[in-house]
Amino acid sequence: MKIERVGFVFLLAAAILWLTPMAFVVLTALRAQRDVIAGGVFSLEGELRLSNFVTAWRIGHFGNLFSNSTLLILLKVPLGILISSLAAYALATMRFRLNWLVFAALLLGLAIPVHVTLLPLALLLRDLGMNDHLASLIPPYTALGLPFQTLVLVGFFRIIPKELFEAADLDGCPEWTKYWRVAMPLARPAWITLAIIDIVGTWNELLVALVLIGAEKWQTVPLGLLQFQGQFASRYTIVMAAILIAVAPVIAVYIAFQKYLSTEMSAGALKE
Amino acid sequence: MRRPKETATAWLFLSPALFIYGLFLLYPMLASLAISFTNWDGISPRWEFTGLDNYRHIFFDDPQSLRAVKNNVVWTLVTVTVPAGWGLILATLLNSSMRGRTLFRAIFYCPSVLPLVAVALIWAWMYNPQFGIVNVTLRALGLEDWTHAWLSEFETAFPATLVTAIWQGTGFPMLLYLAGLQGIPRQQYEAAELDGAGWFRRFIHITLPWLKETHIVVLSLAAMQSLRAFDLIYAMTYGGPGRSTHVLSTWMYFNLFQYRQAGLGSAIAWVIVIISLAVTIPYIRMVARRRHG
Repeated sequence: MKIERVGFVFLLAAAILWLTPMAFVVLTALRAQRDVIAGGVFSLEGELRLSNFVTAWRIGHFGNLFSNSTLLILLKVPLGILISSLAAYALATMRFRLNWLVFAALLLGLAIPVHVTLLPLALLLRDLGMNDHLASLIPPYTALGLPFQTLVLVGFFRIIPKELFEAADLDGCPEWTKYWRVAMPLARPAWITLAIIDIVGTWNELLVALVLIGAEKWQTVPLGLLQFQGQFASRYTIVMAAILIAVAPVIAVYIAFQKYLSTEMSAGALKE
Repeated sequence: MRRPKETATAWLFLSPALFIYGLFLLYPMLASLAISFTNWDGISPRWEFTGLDNYRHIFFDDPQSLRAVKNNVVWTLVTVTVPAGWGLILATLLNSSMRGRTLFRAIFYCPSVLPLVAVALIWAWMYNPQFGIVNVTLRALGLEDWTHAWLSEFETAFPATLVTAIWQGTGFPMLLYLAGLQGIPRQQYEAAELDGAGWFRRFIHITLPWLKETHIVVLSLAAMQSLRAFDLIYAMTYGGPGRSTHVLSTWMYFNLFQYRQAGLGSAIAWVIVIISLAVTIPYIRMVARRRHG
């Protein structure tokens, strides 16, 4: 059909436009600074090289940034899923007074922007002796992810057939066992999706880290990348290499787990 | 049937979440509300209760704050409508068994997963006055007069950040719309086609109404997101040139942590909260309805 061909051409044009920034980042990152300056971004003079990546890794202290961000993710993501799934299990399967109040608080939490917590949070963490340390990011990150993760999981725990829990009751299983052996395995696609969203979100987070982390030792990837905006801004080829180093892990996670993210489930999860 | 044991267990399961939520979200939020009624600087032990002065200051006295408010209104309008509309168009085109469908989807969605600092640096390079693609392309087309130092001129800096936000923000609505479109029964279209309805009428009378829930999600989330826009402005223009590109979140950050205006900064934060609550209500109502429905 004709209209479909028009649609395809339109999509192709839009896709090229969308890819242009990324394409030029890659192209610039592979060339020598003097070639880019002499010949311009469109030229291909000079040879392509990988040395910019080595330089960017070294001057950006990416070894340190990567280990900090990775450690943060390893601690924060499982903790967040554990805490929110426990709460979600109670909300979805147990009857208790004030259920509605907890639910309302979580809904409110969806609308609370992190900004409003920053100053008291910084003061609180200082009083707790956690200031300027990687660990200080874990409680606020967990708190911020909590409302969304809990609400999504409540939705998934609710659709588990009651009979499964009743069968476990007949076997005399305690709530903990029902949560761990019945609910969590059945809701696996849901919490895996949440974990992936959380990994990418934690890797990318800037504002809270900017406020709470000062020491270079504990900087996360976005903070480290920010330095390329100031200090090294005129070393274009190095900056572009640094960008690619910083985004490579998120792209890799996205590609590796695409089946979890591109199914209807992920959009459904975001709706809940 | 409410057994006491079950109630105790329920609270046990809820306790870690409630503890974290209360201490690191609810408490700081209320503390900043209290600070917003004072003239505290954020460090010294001295402060006075000033009532609603900070709020009046934002909207009536201070041109800088008002500028941030106005910028944020523009930012919200543009970053809600353009990516949503654009995402809907792309999703509609992609909702077929076309070749390269997955690849197209990945291309448009890709910018949404990148760290915003990286997005800012990518576009700073695009906008580079000497070597950036935008100016190089304009020069190559003989449009020398149209070139600008995009991020450092007063007229162009803010629109330039908006273009970046659109590039970054289109993928997510597109994905949500794609999921929404897949929920529309094919028979609807087939029946309309038999009645002789063209693609445009099918789009208006079937597609748009069926996507009602998706519209709510897309628009609410985008509006919420637009109030939280910090990273792009901070990393691209740092609020400059002058203080012309501040939005509420960056202006809040500068007041809280650089100008030592904790009272005013907290009031700006609460303006963000109130607007954020207002735009999220349709979304929250939908989530709440699903729970009972």
